[in-house]
Amino acid sequence: MLQIHKRLSNLSKPLRGLGLAVGLAVTGLSLGQEDAVLELDDNLSFDGDFSFDDDLFGSDFEFEESESQSSILDDFTFRLTQQIYGQVNSHSVEPIPGYSFRRESEVENNRLGINLRYQNPFAAGWLLQVSAQSRIYLRNDYQYKANGDNLEIETRINELFVQRSFGQHSIKLGRQTVVWGETLGNSVLDIINTSEFRDLSIIDIEDARRNQLMLAWDYFGDGSTVSSFINLFPEFNPAPVRGSPFFFEPEFNLTDYRREGDVLIEVGSQWRKSFEGSDIAIMAAYLFENQLRFEDPINNIGNSIAEKNDFLLLGFSANRAIGKLLLNFDFAFSHGITADSFNFPGTNSIGQAIDLKKDQIGTSFGFEYAVSNDQSVSIGIQAQKLINEDEGLLPGQSLINNGVFGSWLVRYSNTLKNGDLVISATFQGDLNAESLLALVGFDYTISDNWAINAQIISINAATGSPLLFFDEDLRLGTTLSYSF
Amino acid sequence: MNLLKLKLLSAVFVLTVSASTTAQELTGLEIMETVEDFQRSTSDSAFNRMQLSTCKFGIKNSKITCAERPRIKSLESVGKNFGASLKDTKTVTIVLEPAAERGIGMLSFAYDDSDQDNETWLYLSAMGRIKRIASGNSDDDSEPASVFGSEFTTEDTDTGKLEEYAINIVEETEESGRDVWKIEMIPSEDRARKSRYSKTVVYIDKERFVPLRTEMFDQYGKEIKRLLSSRVELVDDVWMARSLTMMNLVTNRLSNMAILEINTGIIVEDEFLTQRTLSDVAFREAQLQKLREQVQQ
Repeated sequence: MLQIHKRLSNLSKPLRGLGLAVGLAVTGLSLGQEDAVLELDDNLSFDGDFSFDDDLFGSDFEFEESESQSSILDDFTFRLTQQIYGQVNSHSVEPIPGYSFRRESEVENNRLGINLRYQNPFAAGWLLQVSAQSRIYLRNDYQYKANGDNLEIETRINELFVQRSFGQHSIKLGRQTVVWGETLGNSVLDIINTSEFRDLSIIDIEDARRNQLMLAWDYFGDGSTVSSFINLFPEFNPAPVRGSPFFFEPEFNLTDYRREGDVLIEVGSQWRKSFEGSDIAIMAAYLFENQLRFEDPINNIGNSIAEKNDFLLLGFSANRAIGKLLLNFDFAFSHGITADSFNFPGTNSIGQAIDLKKDQIGTSFGFEYAVSNDQSVSIGIQAQKLINEDEGLLPGQSLINNGVFGSWLVRYSNTLKNGDLVISATFQGDLNAESLLALVGFDYTISDNWAINAQIISINAATGSPLLFFDEDLRLGTTLSYSF
Repeated sequence: MNLLKLKLLSAVFVLTVSASTTAQELTGLEIMETVEDFQRSTSDSAFNRMQLSTCKFGIKNSKITCAERPRIKSLESVGKNFGASLKDTKTVTIVLEPAAERGIGMLSFAYDDSDQDNETWLYLSAMGRIKRIASGNSDDDSEPASVFGSEFTTEDTDTGKLEEYAINIVEETEESGRDVWKIEMIPSEDRARKSRYSKTVVYIDKERFVPLRTEMFDQYGKEIKRLLSSRVELVDDVWMARSLTMMNLVTNRLSNMAILEINTGIIVEDEFLTQRTLSDVAFREAQLQKLREQVQQ
């Protein structure tokens, strides 16, 4: 999982430190300019009295009076984005001793995007919510190249559901998200929805997570909540898109699962309760693994055969706030999962798993610490282990995920300029110390509508790591966005 | 952070205060206690909509004005006091604008007891989940924080702790054409360690008990911030300044809080001040509609 920490919000950010003293005797100024605004400099002094006319904000109150005229557009939120991203370090990679290949610097992403969200409480206790996105792949984008150097437009609906809330109940039907677990970004319990980490680039979780057709029911009891879902059409992680950094030409085409009349259903339930300073939850679910397993076609002719696998999940999650420290803990027991799968999303389908079902225990835990109102540090560790991992293996066979496997993540962020600028550094690696991904990000809010993001990502990987093919990659990218 | 407290920074009930004590007999402490009492009482069962505008300021035609397009946040909040002496507060605040933050909600439980940690949950609509925020201990122990990225800080929103100040009436004078008490508040040594201000001077409207102007000074005695109140109106038997402008004289930035809707004394169901309100939009909107209907009655 590359970078799935989205900036939370500017809800509570500190007052910056005192800067240079400024001064001005406002009432004494005579500017001789009618229209231009004099920007104050640091040599002035605020001695004495001055007046302020709040007519400056009078329109706020006028707006209030005319606001009763609502528009259908009030229910829409749009975000336009332009992203440019590239691998800038030309180098060679040697995955096998004696065999190396070049990785040239190149633009990977050059795309224009639009995200829309529609949220309409059309009647008391009813809600219709839709979110969708479109991407136009421009010159030099890998999908532009994969499309024969032609523009390509891709559109998908993320959410589309109707919600009905009454009494202590709430029911949602449609494409939606169910999120379990406390650990942001790498929870072993956040596996209900599928995801698509298509790019080694700037990835927000809402872009990576794919919603599914579900019926969800929440019961809000006295002090606790029971949330249940039925997934009426379980989907699977899509195969890497041709041309993307994660795409490696397979021997046979990777296809989606062929249902051929199968009725697949996932079900799950979670009980959640809040105590003073803590929230806990227990959950159980019958699920299909999000990642398909691919087998060679019969007689080696045609496409690969995608195989699904169902399993049972039991989980527990908790958090505990102690002053400015927040501890998170997730635990998962999975019964009957397929042995062998890579731990980094998006790389799963590179390998071919052994057709063997196992039980697995997993945990993700960590803490978030608010150093100050400006700065925070978070650490998360995800660790998993197959139970009786050698059982059932043929002589000479071994699992890729042998022993304890997983990943760790450390993140530091500093908020400046009253929340307008967030500088963050993220380091992520696997528990075997075979790979390290370092990310430095800058998020700058230019205005209420405009924002810009820039990131630098460096990858180092050793032999044996699924990220080996990205060893010494250095990526630079920026995204400009306009929201309205 | 308790936004309702901020909104009520300069709110006072129309007093019938006059009943037993004449204004002239009040000491500085009594005046501020009276203001605080009303602030606390008005934070109960309140439903408000407000707009926070922040900009770098400059001078135009000899008047202070924004030197850039203001950054605007539109918020809706509901609050209710609870606890044995109604000194704890539960608040839900929802961001309406800007579009990039629309739908972000915050639920806060603020406890009066300094031994009890405040609790805060955020609903991150993009992630579809509620997240507990480690917000630190009670306001007493926390570093002052900017409120929604504005020039208002949590310290500016604080109520109580008057016993930690030396409060004196400096003079009786005029401010914005109103008779006021000019009151000086100097923090005790303990309080000064937690404060950005070494002294605060407040101009209280003698008739309406509204602070019309507040000046904050740093440790060198230099004025660093000034709060100006205007549009003082009688709303639901409450005198309130509906426009509060905090000027940071160091950074040349100002923030204006325009209180667009003020509704106090409404019936807020306890269930509304729970995590459900953050994530269950259909429920939240239905409940808000009920609150709006109460207001219209």
